[in-house]
Amino acid sequence: MYDELQDQNFEIIAVAQDTLGDAAAKEWYDAADPSYTALIDTTHRVSSLYNFVNVPSAAWIDEEGRVVRINEGTYSQVLSLGQATFGTDEYRPAVIDWATNGAASAYVWSQDQVVDKIRRRTSDEALAEPTFKLGVYFYERDEARARSYWERAQALSPDSWNFHRQDWNLTEGLGGPKYREKRGGLGDKDYYAPLELAPRATTSAR
Amino acid sequence: MIVLATCSLGALASGEPVTVLYNDQVIAVERTLADPNDLWVIPADLPRVNGFELKPEGACLAELCVPVLQDRDSEMFVTRANQAWFNVTALARRLEQPYTADHDHRVWSFGEIPVTRTQFLHSAMAPDFELPNRKGQLVRLSDFRGKKVLLVTWASW
Repeated sequence: MYDELQDQNFEIIAVAQDTLGDAAAKEWYDAADPSYTALIDTTHRVSSLYNFVNVPSAAWIDEEGRVVRINEGTYSQVLSLGQATFGTDEYRPAVIDWATNGAASAYVWSQDQVVDKIRRRTSDEALAEPTFKLGVYFYERDEARARSYWERAQALSPDSWNFHRQDWNLTEGLGGPKYREKRGGLGDKDYYAPLELAPRATTSAR
Repeated sequence: MIVLATCSLGALASGEPVTVLYNDQVIAVERTLADPNDLWVIPADLPRVNGFELKPEGACLAELCVPVLQDRDSEMFVTRANQAWFNVTALARRLEQPYTADHDHRVWSFGEIPVTRTQFLHSAMAPDFELPNRKGQLVRLSDFRGKKVLLVTWASW
């Protein structure tokens, strides 16, 4: 998808959010040999700044640096990283439409819509950020101490899948029982923020 | 008088070096005051600790200045033996910036400063950041100004 859009003044920045850095991302990035911009984020910096709570998450950023869509959970073959494909096919046409039509795309949100969609943090959730980063700092030095900060961050911000999944991944491997248990216990909460892919209503006189 | 002054130093004697985590930086700070609850640094260290600079009008970050009286001791500023000290944690509280500390290892970890977030939260301006690519070269989001950017986080887990 990226190749066909390179002429459209469009860039994909993929951020591998993993405390183990390139060691963890390598296998996937190598398999995909990405020609887009591939970055390494050991401390979950981007999620911290954009108030994301899970991966994959995305923001569309226009030529002036304004966010025009944010915080939706399913991002399909937009990113085919090796054998990993995310979500559904619905997202891809929307991205192509935006890459081609820019501000005129029906998928672009107004500033108010974006502001409304940005996830807000409680004071506990805000405190979870520096607490999680203490865990990242200690991970290489004192794993038990790292774990205690990650557990505290999870308690402060129970809805952050990023904090849970990073910890569980390093503790018990991918998709372990804690992950399945928590995901199974979601009830009516969303694992990902839902996609809202209905194009913006247009005044079309037919 | 000198004896009394020396006694009052007791609660705030020279402290141990600390590590500060802020903005993805790991910052070593040699000089601190001993205080179990707060982090005091010399004004010269302030810019690399949290981006602020101590000016006559106060502690300033770009346009934002928090007034700090510097001719007397206060919660945010003290002078000991002709050395000025600035209370980083008191400033954080004033700005509602979250922080936490590992006192065993003297590591202080600071979160985002809310007032620096208003452009994002209220005007939808994309927060800028700098991260390494796979070759270790630093890349900034703002390097791509003038292009449409799809920013996607993912993880191996």
